[in-house]
Amino acid sequence: MKKTTMLTMFLMLVIFSTASAHTALMSCFDEGDGTVTCEGGFSDGSSASGVKFLIEQNGKTVMETKMNEYSEVTFEKPSGSYQAVFNAGEGHKVYVDGEDIVE
Amino acid sequence: MKNIVLTLALTILWCSNSFAHFQMLYTPESALNTGSKIELRHVFTHPFADEHTMDMGKQHDSKENNPVEAFYVINKGKKKDLLGSLKAITWKGNHNSGAAYQSQYKAKRMGDHLFVMQPAPYYEANEEAYIQQITKMVINVAGAPTDWDKELGLKAEIVPLTKPYSIWTGSTFSGIVKSNGKPVPFAEIEVEFLNRDVDLAANAMGKAYVEAPHDSFVTMGIKADQDGKFTFGIPKAGWWGFCALGAGSDTEYKGKELSQDAVIWVQAKDMK
Repeated sequence: MKKTTMLTMFLMLVIFSTASAHTALMSCFDEGDGTVTCEGGFSDGSSASGVKFLIEQNGKTVMETKMNEYSEVTFEKPSGSYQAVFNAGEGHKVYVDGEDIVE
Repeated sequence: MKNIVLTLALTILWCSNSFAHFQMLYTPESALNTGSKIELRHVFTHPFADEHTMDMGKQHDSKENNPVEAFYVINKGKKKDLLGSLKAITWKGNHNSGAAYQSQYKAKRMGDHLFVMQPAPYYEANEEAYIQQITKMVINVAGAPTDWDKELGLKAEIVPLTKPYSIWTGSTFSGIVKSNGKPVPFAEIEVEFLNRDVDLAANAMGKAYVEAPHDSFVTMGIKADQDGKFTFGIPKAGWWGFCALGAGSDTEYKGKELSQDAVIWVQAKDMK
């Protein structure tokens, strides 16, 4: 029992130190053809493939998908204001405003 | 007496030309928060003293300068040829002007953009020899590291062990001098600070930032260790050039001696 508790604590520490050591990152650009590409990543260079990606408008999620094998998402540019959200879990979310996304 | 004066004059002339040549691959900002179009300048000069700007690609047997041999960028492992983006310009140094190039690059994708410039060998008449400096420079968009530490197997190359765009003033830069992928033990490395305000609009060097207390501070000489590795403490914010002399495998060009050097540029920032 004691061993299991210690192992759990050790594993939790490992997970905690890994999770806090890097920063979630996202950069988006307008493709100029009515679509936008967002690229995700982490400060340690690890892949963002499979990380949740959302488009929010007025606080509501209007699109939800996952970053592809190249850690990218390309989507139709929504009309009106919107936010692109890279959601890699608590403390690892990045928001980019649509108006800051240029060609 | 005449001979003494002549000797003195020649000594002064020789000394003033003995500062290090550096192939510059300049852009104002290497750490970009978002993707943007950047300006690049390609100048063969002495970045600290700026006492002479060389004509890139100058030949001993022709009045025409030879064109740049290679210029490309690597982002997320993809190589893009940029030779066609180069436009010939005349770069105005504080003492003379020289043949150089300008270009623009759209750094829209996230990650590292690793630039490589391989100019044609330059004929240095004072030494009756050619110099070719294979030059690397890295910019980053949005902080994700992707290509900065890639080893390209160049004939002469400095492979960085520190991100070249992410250096605080007072910290260090480390790299390994390599030739065709193999470390160059005890490589001789020259280090210079880009000591000039660069005027992109006028394609000119501006005023000096600092003065050297002694000639040995203009071009600092350091050596790599037995594994080709070196570390240098960066004392001031700005661009710093590292040049591994004669590290390359080519030693002759047009029947003359060739020094094939590896150059890398790094940019330090103040903590404020």
